[in-house]
Amino acid sequence: MKKVQKIQGYVLFIILLIIGLLMVYPMIWMLASSVKSANEILNQPLQLIPRTLHFENFTNALKAAPFMQWLWNSTWTTVVIVFMQLFFSSLIAYALTQFKFMGRNVLFAIILATYMLPSATTYIPSYVILGKMNLINSLVGLVVSNLANVFVIFLLRQSFMSVPKGIIEAARSDGASEWTILWQIVVPMNKNSILNATLIGFITNFNGYLWPSLLLNDTKKQVISVGLNSFSNTQGAFNQTFPIIMAGTTIAVVPLIIVYVILQKYFVQSSKTSSIKG
Amino acid sequence: MEIKASKRQLLLFVVIPLLPLIVFWIIPLIVSLWLSFTDWNYISPTFNYVGIKNYTQLFTSQEFKQALAHTAYFTFFSVVPIIVLGFLLAVGLNKLKRSYKFIQALLFAPWVTPLIGMSIVWGWIFNSKVGPINQILHLLHLPEPQWLTNPTAAMWTIIIVTIWKNAGWAALFFSDALAKIPASLFEVSDMEGLSWWQKIWYVLIPLVSPTTLFLVIVMILECLQAYDQITVLTQGGPAGSTTTLLYLYYQLGFKQFQMGSATALSIIILVISAILAYISIRMSRKHTYY
Repeated sequence: MKKVQKIQGYVLFIILLIIGLLMVYPMIWMLASSVKSANEILNQPLQLIPRTLHFENFTNALKAAPFMQWLWNSTWTTVVIVFMQLFFSSLIAYALTQFKFMGRNVLFAIILATYMLPSATTYIPSYVILGKMNLINSLVGLVVSNLANVFVIFLLRQSFMSVPKGIIEAARSDGASEWTILWQIVVPMNKNSILNATLIGFITNFNGYLWPSLLLNDTKKQVISVGLNSFSNTQGAFNQTFPIIMAGTTIAVVPLIIVYVILQKYFVQSSKTSSIKG
Repeated sequence: MEIKASKRQLLLFVVIPLLPLIVFWIIPLIVSLWLSFTDWNYISPTFNYVGIKNYTQLFTSQEFKQALAHTAYFTFFSVVPIIVLGFLLAVGLNKLKRSYKFIQALLFAPWVTPLIGMSIVWGWIFNSKVGPINQILHLLHLPEPQWLTNPTAAMWTIIIVTIWKNAGWAALFFSDALAKIPASLFEVSDMEGLSWWQKIWYVLIPLVSPTTLFLVIVMILECLQAYDQITVLTQGGPAGSTTTLLYLYYQLGFKQFQMGSATALSIIILVISAILAYISIRMSRKHTYY
């Protein structure tokens, strides 16, 4: 009986391992193709391991398009967006849970009613509003239009509700200001939710495509997803350009793979709080 | 105790942080609804009110009906496999005695990597001449579809990429839900002599049904908003066969500048999403999912 269970365990492990490897096969195939020659890919398409390494694919890709600029654009806009969303959302979530003010219930009702709605509905008016602010084709415009995120407010509000009232009252009677209570007591107590919101925000903003693709025109001002797609389109689906496209894609994807490998356990935990992205 | 906020506190905690929310979320939602009753074309400074004409035109147009049908097809055939596969993977994961974390990391990786980049890779994997999928089918003497140029196959390419991206993510939720089932239930079902599939059917599936419902709704919303894989792999083609409602919205608004029809379409997508969101909020009052 024990033996049967042991064999079953091995079979299960092998099946799951195969499915897991199939899931990461596109990434592995991309990495392998990025260092092959076009001929090798065409002649032995199923051979995964490259015979010779062609790192010039990467230098060619970097010469053909400003990948490093795009990565930098994505990185700084994502960092600023995520930071500002957390900053504003913490303030609003604190007000929603600790203050009495006129319109509080209406405000929460609006947040609750809209946090699952598709952001695409806002694109046309947002585009016009940014146009009036002279922020079309500008990374600042991308940041400004992303300062608000209803989902982050919702997430933090739910989390801040669990802070025991006694702690906040004690701090108040010690003479702490509301500002101090928020940043020195409430936020540290909710660091798991903050971390979750940070990682989800990082992924969705760094990988975002549709909105930045509408907003940004200049090659130099692209974020990585938009730049990569236009690079791949201009290179065309010709067999000879295949390795350089894979090298470009690798440049775009590898930073996330590295972040994921380092922060894997936090990602797995965080993703479960995200149901909807803004 | 909640305190009554002073004017200064309200300004700092509510008014200033709310500005971006009002300007780039609430106002745009209202303006979209308003524009959907006009014939604005983006270029001209003036426009006319046309009542519900944009909506009636959409509902009678072939384009819209097809996009609606494509969206329904795409959503159904993506969500069902994501849920089934996610559930089965979770059942397997929770039985695993070793390397749980490692396998989980592999399954979840597609959710983290950028879909634009990975769709470019998938485009080459599905390439009908040099892509590995057709090479394998060729070795097995199976038919080799023209994945990206045949209308039905193109839709399935999009569906496969969507399943690939989300199945591991769904498995995480099921895995948590399954882990919360008390061990005593398994002992009872063992004593009752249930076979493994009876256990799955009579014990596991009913007990995770709140998670299933939640995932179904979230995945439908995800499919309604799918864009990246479509724009990279097929750009809505061939012959409009992968044009979903959201992709049609993009074409109407940002290619043809028919802002009235585009906003009307976006309001329709919003209404569908709102109904689903309402169901999920109603459900979450009865159950906890995570």
